[in-house]
Amino acid sequence: MSLEPLAAAPLVTVEHLVVRFPLRGGRQFIRPVDDVSFTIGSGEVLALVGESGSGKTTIGRTLLRILEPSFGRISVAGTDVSHIKGRELTAYRRQAQMIFQDPFASLNPVKTVENHLVFPIRKHQGGNKESVDQLIDDLLERVGLTPVNETRKKFPHELSGGQRQRLAIARALAVQPQFLVADEPISMLDVSIRAGILQLLGQLKRDFHLSFLYVTHDLASARYFGDRIMVLYAGKIMESAPSRDLIRNPLHPYTKLLLAATPGSSTRHRLPEKDNQPPDLSEARVGCPFAPRCLSATTECTNSMPPMTVVAPERSVACYHPDALISVKPLP
Amino acid sequence: MVSEQPVLVLRDVSIAYDSPAGPVQAVSHVNLELMPNTIVGLIGESGSGKSTLATGIMRLLRGGAHLTHGEILIKGQNVYDMDAKTLRKFRWEAMSMVFQSAMTVLNPVMTVEQQMVDVFLAHRPGMSKAEALQKSYALLDLVRIARKHGKSYPHELSGGMKQRIVIAIALALDPALVIMDEPTTALDVVVQRSILEQIQDLQQERHFAVLFISHDFSLVAELASRVAIMYAGRFVEVTESGGLTVSDQDHHPYTQGLMRAIPRLTHEDVVIEGIPGHPPDLVTLPTGCAYHPRCPYAVPLCTVERPEPRDWQGRLIACHRFDPQKAGEFSHVS
Ligand SMILES: Nc1ncnc2c1ncn2[C@@H]1O[C@H](COP(=O)(O)OP(=O)(O)O)[C@@H](O)[C@H]1O
Ligand SMILES: Nc1ncnc2c1ncn2[C@@H]1O[C@H](COP(=O)(O)OP(=O)(O)O)[C@@H](O)[C@H]1O
Ligand SMILES: [Mg+2]
Ligand SMILES: [Mg+2]
Repeated sequence: MSLEPLAAAPLVTVEHLVVRFPLRGGRQFIRPVDDVSFTIGSGEVLALVGESGSGKTTIGRTLLRILEPSFGRISVAGTDVSHIKGRELTAYRRQAQMIFQDPFASLNPVKTVENHLVFPIRKHQGGNKESVDQLIDDLLERVGLTPVNETRKKFPHELSGGQRQRLAIARALAVQPQFLVADEPISMLDVSIRAGILQLLGQLKRDFHLSFLYVTHDLASARYFGDRIMVLYAGKIMESAPSRDLIRNPLHPYTKLLLAATPGSSTRHRLPEKDNQPPDLSEARVGCPFAPRCLSATTECTNSMPPMTVVAPERSVACYHPDALISVKPLP
Repeated sequence: MVSEQPVLVLRDVSIAYDSPAGPVQAVSHVNLELMPNTIVGLIGESGSGKSTLATGIMRLLRGGAHLTHGEILIKGQNVYDMDAKTLRKFRWEAMSMVFQSAMTVLNPVMTVEQQMVDVFLAHRPGMSKAEALQKSYALLDLVRIARKHGKSYPHELSGGMKQRIVIAIALALDPALVIMDEPTTALDVVVQRSILEQIQDLQQERHFAVLFISHDFSLVAELASRVAIMYAGRFVEVTESGGLTVSDQDHHPYTQGLMRAIPRLTHEDVVIEGIPGHPPDLVTLPTGCAYHPRCPYAVPLCTVERPEPRDWQGRLIACHRFDPQKAGEFSHVS
């Protein structure tokens, strides 16, 4: 399989996406997703990183059209899916699938492993019993749930955490999607199991040329699995860059803070923040949501949101004072 | 002056749960010494026995668990020989514990300062309420929480603030030992890091010892000076944390496996690998070395004979490969 040239049209294009939720009382709104734009190439993994409550899951759910955008546009493979309904939506769900954080909660406790797969396979491609059986075997083999004959008859509670996540992945693959949203797929698993799941996802990406939105709060795994990393804070993208560049040379003060706080970053100095209040998600807020915590913030920052600016090939940042800009190294 | 007597000594400690099918050995023959003013890390996957050991040290075992073997000494005193009154005094004053969930400790219907005041009044009968309140404010200052939050109820505070308050309460009576059981697991990394910085600052002031329990390998390697690695209720390795930053052959195979399994921020071209299989169920433990079904080096000996921890270049490692007398068995594996 050959790699797509970089200039190929992206599989997923998100433009100025806004998702708003009413607060109690219904007169005021929060915007956990606020004017977010990005693309995901075919066969590309975009890692979405941010602290809890920053809007990662909401973005993922909106991309899969479990939620409907309040404003903005989502197109996948050239089709605008922002407000599709009914049969169109059902068809779209075959292209795009989700893997959840808690595999147990996403599985049906009274269904066997094979019964989790029969329905999506039938629905997707019909077929007689033999061909469905064969596909189930192939899928289980593919996700490492072997020996196949034994696992087929098991119930979710008879599987380990890692095996359950493998089953959830097999089920997502059963409809042969092009695009997967993996929402913290390893964070509930034991440390010794996580690498295997990440390896499996990487293998699937290569074998099927799958695109991923990989949602995580962990920069180290984002660097490992993501081709690019997008850093989200209070519903706003702060910075987006190829994974390596973002870790080696972060530009946004929030990215720097996250990096400094991540274990293994070998930062020994104090955290670069002046306060640690949780962010304001209200629609009425003005300015950069990170300004109250930011050491570089000026009145400009509290008065208006800095626009997303392209600063190098494939690198953009939304900051009036990205102090490291001067040290941007050309991409190798 | 900081005394050089160990704050905590675990001597061949075993803890079991009673179950209909017989005792379940959750902690087996564990040894450890913790000196004042140090942080020792305890790493293990879920179910490996970390919390059981922690509550065992505090003598707070629940759910049919009891100490079946060994001794636990805090500042030289055997925790399991104390009468109820001494024990009550010992908890909080000599040893305290920070649980993963702040709500295990905080009372949802009392304000933060009421709860703090209560801790002082319960342990310092002569103290006036005003004095207890002053001390509570000083504690809030210590963990950098504005005094006005003393009037808040727990649900009005963020997860990070609640955990800071729990840490403040754990430090209230200046204990020599603080056991922290995954104190930051539920928090965001930035909050986690600022709490850890604070623990280190406070330790510089007060010289308490910390047993820090976590499943986060990178975090423990960074924070602790020594690390115990637990698997299926046993310490398979106890080592200086410095050696844990680079993967090398000189560790227990499980430690090596863990080191290879985690993506690290700065190791760009390193491919991670999971450990095959999954952690064992204590009820149906494998024979011999409990790790042998997952171990790339395992030889027939490992399936029948359990390796005892032995000293190896300053590390304690429980693996036949590190036993000169057994090494011959491994000559054909790399
Ligand atoms: N259906 C909903 N109704 C109202 N608020 C919501 C809903 N879903 C999420 N939120 C809020 O949106 C914010 C972002 O949540 P989420 O997308 O889950 O963040 P993350 O996945 O980054 O932790 C949170 O404040 C959350 O409470
Ligand atoms: N109430 C209980 N009854 C029986 N066994 C228990 C009970 N609680 C825990 N265990 C056993 O003890 C083992 C260790 O549990 P725990 O100490 O909580 O592990 P950790 O904190 O490392 O995740 C578990 O694998 C479980 O089998
Ligand atoms: Mg989420
Ligand atoms: Mg535990």
